[in-house]
Amino acid sequence: MRGNFTHLRRLLLASIACVLGAAVLTYLVDPLQLFRPSRLAFYSDDTRVQNAGLIRSQSFDTAFMGTSLAIRFRQSDIDRALGVHSLKLAMTGSNSRQQGFVLERAIERGARRVIWAMDDFIFVDAADIEADPFLSVDLYRQTTKGIASYLFSAAMAKESLFALLRSIPPLQQKLTQAAPFLPVKFALSDVDDIYALSRDFDIARDYNAKKTLASFAYITSPVRSRFLGEGCGYDAMLRHFERDAVGLITRHPGVTFDIYLPPYSILQFVAMRDASPATLKIVTDLTARIAERLTQLPNVRLYDFRAIRAVTHDLNNYSDVIHHSPVVDAMVLNWLMRGEYRVDPEAPLASLDALKAQIEAYRVER
Amino acid sequence: MLFNSYPFILLFLPAVLAGYFWLGRRSNLAPVIWLALASLAFYAIGSWQFVGLLLISIAFNYGVGYLLIAAKLAPMQRKAALALGVVGDLLVLGIFKYAGFVAENINALAGTHVAVHILLPVGISFYTFTQIAFLVDAYRGQVARYALPHYALFVTYFPHLIAGPILHHKDMIPQFERKETKYPDAHLILCGIVIFAIGLFKKTCLADGIQPLVALAFEARSPSFDQAWCGALAYTFQLYFDFSGYSDMAIGLSLMFGIFLPVNFNSPYKATSIVEFWRGWHMTLSQFLRDYLYISLGGNRRGRVLRYVNLMITMLLGGLWHGAAWTFVAWGALHGAYLCVNHAFNALVPNVPALLVRPARIVGAILTFLAVVVAWVFFRAESVTWALRVLHAMADPSNIVLGREEIAALVLVSIYAALVWLAPNTQAIMGYDHDNRRVGEALPAGRMRPLFLYGASLVLALGILGIQSHSEFIYFRF
Repeated sequence: MRGNFTHLRRLLLASIACVLGAAVLTYLVDPLQLFRPSRLAFYSDDTRVQNAGLIRSQSFDTAFMGTSLAIRFRQSDIDRALGVHSLKLAMTGSNSRQQGFVLERAIERGARRVIWAMDDFIFVDAADIEADPFLSVDLYRQTTKGIASYLFSAAMAKESLFALLRSIPPLQQKLTQAAPFLPVKFALSDVDDIYALSRDFDIARDYNAKKTLASFAYITSPVRSRFLGEGCGYDAMLRHFERDAVGLITRHPGVTFDIYLPPYSILQFVAMRDASPATLKIVTDLTARIAERLTQLPNVRLYDFRAIRAVTHDLNNYSDVIHHSPVVDAMVLNWLMRGEYRVDPEAPLASLDALKAQIEAYRVER
Repeated sequence: MLFNSYPFILLFLPAVLAGYFWLGRRSNLAPVIWLALASLAFYAIGSWQFVGLLLISIAFNYGVGYLLIAAKLAPMQRKAALALGVVGDLLVLGIFKYAGFVAENINALAGTHVAVHILLPVGISFYTFTQIAFLVDAYRGQVARYALPHYALFVTYFPHLIAGPILHHKDMIPQFERKETKYPDAHLILCGIVIFAIGLFKKTCLADGIQPLVALAFEARSPSFDQAWCGALAYTFQLYFDFSGYSDMAIGLSLMFGIFLPVNFNSPYKATSIVEFWRGWHMTLSQFLRDYLYISLGGNRRGRVLRYVNLMITMLLGGLWHGAAWTFVAWGALHGAYLCVNHAFNALVPNVPALLVRPARIVGAILTFLAVVVAWVFFRAESVTWALRVLHAMADPSNIVLGREEIAALVLVSIYAALVWLAPNTQAIMGYDHDNRRVGEALPAGRMRPLFLYGASLVLALGILGIQSHSEFIYFRF
């Protein structure tokens, strides 16, 4: 009996030692670069976690934010086109609350300019950030809880161990090459590669009219069309816009906000027109309000790219009804650089009216 | 409250264990009451609004059980009492679990707009089934009279209350009555912690670790061939490690209290036939369905055709038990069909030539696994249409992406497959023998080999480090 209690004590003590050992390993390797920047660091596509470290370890003067529509940009392209030192913080499927929260942290760390790809649907479901299970506010704020959740984490211990192995010279090259294909999160050796498509990516294979039309048929099918308007409510969306966008902008009058409404394919609006007109009305009403409100703020430059026919009507630019190709990403940077399609504060609804006319006139080729 | 949470592991469990053994030195009944109250507290922390329902259910079934065991009723009255108990239980389960589903289907058929929104009480499927078995056995004269605290503990016992395994009164209540269980047994506590650690590791590191890959098939609008397969296989392994991890944790926790719970999983993915699969998957549910549904329907006693009909009915209801949705019905129907095919094959080919036994077993294992994966697609999908889309992608090898993400997914899925097929299961590692109430007997003989002890420490540490704030057990939904 006594022997068994000894074994029990030994088991528990050894477990505690393992837990502490894992925490020390993560602290020393610091895969997120939360405590110290590293020249040998690797990066992750898990942007909701990765951004917490990027904001602390990178030097930047411009923050780039958006959803999956903005995730494929390369920081180097942004820097080259706009002459800035940017940090891409776009997060797939993010809502306005998450975006606002992350941008606020970036501004606190020195961003003087924000480039924000603002989708209307980010305002649909923007729950309380303090209880958000997908974005750890404590990690970003570096509270005790946040630091503990980082250090006492099997996932981070695994990443740290892999990083350690990767730093051993004989293994370095092979593990670095294999990392993107292994189940490790911190696999990218260049911060520029986060979520970016490889340079030799076959764009025509993934972005073409066939896929775009198939997606249109899918979302407008009678059994699924009700999802088009799911969660959409004008009042709630407007409230989220005021809290997350206007609130952030007015709290930071010294920061310049270049906000653009991204160029969805025309089919996105046509789908709503045909299958969910009430949703289309909510979206256009909200856009009108966004345009009127943002153009009145002195530190905002608002751009509307949604009525550029040459882009939005060419379905080869898209992989579905909203996601555009990297070719359009380059155009977006070019338009921002030249200041094209900027919404005139004197006529904030002009581009929206043009878009409405296009939606009305468009006929889908089946 | 989740087993894989810091408050449970660091506060609730030590406090309940300490109270149990402290009271055990003074009385044989007090620890039972303490554990029942602790179990109610465990339930109330997560689902306080349904504690009343749970207590009513216990009182109702205990009352009906009393009529069947102790009251001197005429045969017809006994039958009526049993009917009252079973119908009452099923009515409550039906209202809470199936009313919304029924209304939805009536709306679809009749074009009406009746809205039924009833929250599903956590664990209702499990505590309803255990009590139905109790009533049926009481009717059959197979139950001695039990004291209320022991019965209440049998129903609420926190290691199993929320997601099983489904317990049997004949197995559990005598254990609660034994005096020896009230004294701390270092060997059982040690083995319990190791089994709990394995379960925790399965849940937090393995099941939660592969969960993101499931989206490749089930959240994509049009997955490619490789994405659909990776997603479907990821779910196949996630579900196994999630639920078998939970069952291991339940067994381990219970062992710390000196109570042996039944084994619920026995390497089901190594099965060489679908019959064997059901002997290894959610074994306590299979046993319940066999003893209280399939045999009650007539089992295989009324000819071959009716046997197949009974199998189909049993599996359809088994599917529906998992959830009120057509996807679960489709899943149950598929497994019913698989079982019928398996039995028909056994009847047609009773003996395989000795030379072909091994190849036949390999082919059987592959076919069984594939059949199970296909059925899981229905189990996981949002709708039957969605499931068919995933299956269509799985059958279309002309559309392959095999990019960086897909290769990484494939590597991860392969690691899980190796674990499932090559690693021994928990009861084999620990020598857990539920029937003979034995566990870990080989360990002291090997003087608790340091490698084993420190390996277990690492598994426990990784299990604890793997705890995430937003993790939940898949089986909580059922």
